[in-house]
Amino acid sequence: MDLSVNLAPRHKVELLLRNPVMTASGTFSNGIEIGKHFDLGALGAIISKGTTIQPRKGNPTPRTVETAAGMINAIGFQNIGVGALISTLCPVWERWDVPAIVNIMGYTLEEYGTLAARLDGVPGVAGLEVNISCPNVEAGGLEFGQDPHHAAAVVREVAGATSLPFLVKLTPSVADVRPIAEAVARAGAHAISVTNTIPAMAIDAKRRRPVIANGFGGLSGPAVKPIAMRNVFLSSSVVDIPVVASGGIMTGLDAVEFIMAGATAVQVGTATFLDPAAPWNILREIEEWCAAEGVDRIEEIRGVARRTD
Amino acid sequence: MRSFHAEVTDSVRLYGDTHLLWFVSPPDMLAATPGQFVMAYAGEGADPLLGRALSLHRVRTTDRRAEFALLFDVVGRGTDWFAHRRPGDLVRMVGPLGRGFEPRERVEHMLLVGGGIGSAPLVWLADELIAQGREVTMILGGRTPEQIFPAELLHPSVELIVTTEDGRLGEQGRVTAPFARLLPWCDQAFTCGPEPMFEALFGTLRDSGLRKPVQGLWEGRMACGMGICYSCAVFPAQGGVKLVCHDGPMFDLRDVYA
Repeated sequence: MDLSVNLAPRHKVELLLRNPVMTASGTFSNGIEIGKHFDLGALGAIISKGTTIQPRKGNPTPRTVETAAGMINAIGFQNIGVGALISTLCPVWERWDVPAIVNIMGYTLEEYGTLAARLDGVPGVAGLEVNISCPNVEAGGLEFGQDPHHAAAVVREVAGATSLPFLVKLTPSVADVRPIAEAVARAGAHAISVTNTIPAMAIDAKRRRPVIANGFGGLSGPAVKPIAMRNVFLSSSVVDIPVVASGGIMTGLDAVEFIMAGATAVQVGTATFLDPAAPWNILREIEEWCAAEGVDRIEEIRGVARRTD
Repeated sequence: MRSFHAEVTDSVRLYGDTHLLWFVSPPDMLAATPGQFVMAYAGEGADPLLGRALSLHRVRTTDRRAEFALLFDVVGRGTDWFAHRRPGDLVRMVGPLGRGFEPRERVEHMLLVGGGIGSAPLVWLADELIAQGREVTMILGGRTPEQIFPAELLHPSVELIVTTEDGRLGEQGRVTAPFARLLPWCDQAFTCGPEPMFEALFGTLRDSGLRKPVQGLWEGRMACGMGICYSCAVFPAQGGVKLVCHDGPMFDLRDVYA
């Protein structure tokens, strides 16, 4: 059975995964904790915590709240900063038998370029994932990812600063994901991740205040899967670069459904909070499903749900 | 750090809103120490979704098997589901997790301070310390007597002091008064309870001028319990940020507040 996928088929530096199961940014820390207990080499790829130029302590607590079949988080990009990531984590990743993708986030266009340039050629870094769900402080606070022109500008900035293959993580917080996906693909993204968490909020009736200290956060978990499914379906219908699905993937069957909607690979996120073995369990369930269905290559089912015949 | 299903052997509403569950101990749990915790998952589907972080309350070995206990207040859907488990039922868990209490070697006088359900991990700590031949005094505080762990279930060698805010049991008031009295006696102190209690204890410690080590067991709001979601942040006064589940849940009060 061939489960391998290539997330940058048209780039001179390919991003080859032995299977389509990745870990989602912000749900796996940097792989160190779980890597002590599980074989990371069996996974397709791991994605780092969102990394900024400067270290960040993150938001005050509470940072998360459980909701119906989901959770809201507003961690506030707590991370060690790109300098410490390069000096302490990359040498560890270099020894690992799994591609490590660094998720980066800037507050200005220039910061995206700086992050991409600093990570270019660093041993242990297989690629980048660019989070564009960040308020553009130079453009009145609209997220980069909510405007096709601003999103494309980030992509050109990153593409000009690195030869690494990179994914661009789209926000679901738009009227239509397709113009953003098209703009990002045209500007040179090698793949897109669909989607980030969904802006959300919870109120504590007892305290009469928002539950999360930040007020708003991002919704994830099984509750968002149908929304992510639609966005994967729509975006993969307008771009010819790989689409990586994320949003409430808890089982191998969830992953298979996203692949049928058009995804090349999947990211397991919130599921790992419930069981550190979730990415491995999902991989095994994909293999079992393929064996039971007589699917020899995962490519065979990609996008089949979009067929109209 | 492995997900397993633990079989319930006993389930009882022990006092007030507080429930006790005993489980068959899988091999992973045998190396656990007081202050460590498990993430326990309620229900079968995706709702409720996240685990509940519960301190290990006690261990025991019968002639047939090793068992461990969880003691918790029934406060919501998850803990209510746990409280309805019966012998033979299975509960999925991940654990043992975190860094537990670290008693110093060759010290004698141990002071344990629990607020409300914070008594849960201290009961086992007391068992262990007494088995090591040390003297244990435990202060348990609550708003009402219904929040106080039953004295008869503690190790008989524990010297117990109870405080209640309504004064219906033990001393009227809070745990800080007996804590201040016993500080000169104790070599090391351990505490578990709400954070405002930690702050009050630290204030008492600072005012006493005594440099006694006090280890607190933090209760952060966690999604994962294993250092990957970054929910349970603690911001030490000296700067930086720590995770309760990964760097704790045990922190020296001085390392957080001083």
